[in-house]
Amino acid sequence: MTGAPDVGHDATTPPQPAGAAEGSGRADPFDGSPAVRRWLDQAGDRGTAERMGDVTLLRRFCAAEQTTPDELVARCLRSTKSGDTAISAAGRRAADQAITAFAAAEGLSGREAIVLGNRLRSFLIHNGIFLQGPASIL
Amino acid sequence: MEFNRVVGTRRSIRFFKSWRPVERSKIQVMFEAANRASRSMNADYFRAIAVNRDDLDAETRDALRNPTTTADLDLAPTYIFWYIDLDYVAGAQDRLKELVDQHALPAAHGWSKAYVDDFLWPQVLEPISKDLNAVIFMGAVETGIAICNAINAAVDQGLGTCMHAFTANDKIKPLLGVPDTWLPVWLQLVGYPAEEPEAGGQRPRRPLSTLFFEGSCDHPWDEDPDVTEQLTREGMIQEPGPFPYRAQEVRMLSRMYGLPE
Repeated sequence: MTGAPDVGHDATTPPQPAGAAEGSGRADPFDGSPAVRRWLDQAGDRGTAERMGDVTLLRRFCAAEQTTPDELVARCLRSTKSGDTAISAAGRRAADQAITAFAAAEGLSGREAIVLGNRLRSFLIHNGIFLQGPASIL
Repeated sequence: MEFNRVVGTRRSIRFFKSWRPVERSKIQVMFEAANRASRSMNADYFRAIAVNRDDLDAETRDALRNPTTTADLDLAPTYIFWYIDLDYVAGAQDRLKELVDQHALPAAHGWSKAYVDDFLWPQVLEPISKDLNAVIFMGAVETGIAICNAINAAVDQGLGTCMHAFTANDKIKPLLGVPDTWLPVWLQLVGYPAEEPEAGGQRPRRPLSTLFFEGSCDHPWDEDPDVTEQLTREGMIQEPGPFPYRAQEVRMLSRMYGLPE
């Protein structure tokens, strides 16, 4: 682990937002998720509280998209003819648009929408999906 | 700025002062520097279009964006779209004879108008002009030399710049009225650095002995420590990155612009 706080179960399963799997009898896709672990390990010097907030946000986004964190990453990938894994331009574009739509659905605009969207993009970025969001320049 | 310091201070700047436009005069200096670059056949290999971000309407700006260029295009106030003009060979015959007239291509080195007309043009240059691979190869090399001058001119004027992959050409071409013979090579982002000009320190470079040789490939270049010391004093060789505060600098800039961390 690279300077990340102890982010075992506590960080990948933060205080539960509506729609979380806990108590539903289904396995929580955030538990032991390699993609979430990778994100938390590599996302710089953000404090534990910020990271937990990021995970909560990702959980809400995944619920809205009816997907899991690892599937979210997988949607941005494709297999090449030679059997390698490559970034899917279409998948990445779809994820980017879904993030923008999610921020709007949250009732955000302007800088707030940009910041929220880029917190989600951080998850994909640290899982190898080269992606840029808008900058808040106003 | 002295030449050695310009070369040593150049970085790929990725955080610009989005609010500060670049003076048109400074872009002209960059273009003139590019126009003075070395070029075979005295040919005009390159074309460039300077575009100010804030002169574009919202629809055009959106058309230029894609998921890999959005932040870059937001932060940089000026874009320079660089192209190879694949028609660069046209007129080479006359330009070379012009250089003969100027004694830049002298008989002392074997040059004559007869050589240009009777041999060089029909047997070398015209056939090359029909070989697309050769045209692109030469065009890329020579355009790169010109861009290098423009980069250093930007640094000399206190600007930051970064070469960016040229994407969305299908959208850009009609928007900017680009002719069919222009092949996109680089998108150059230009602006005043929001990060410190040192951008966290000089980037890692391998020793000269791994890249350069003397006499033959069996003899790696042996650096003269006095020269190395001189270049350090004059700013070509600078403190290597990352500076101790670099991660925090990037973090603060990312937060200022709301970018991913």
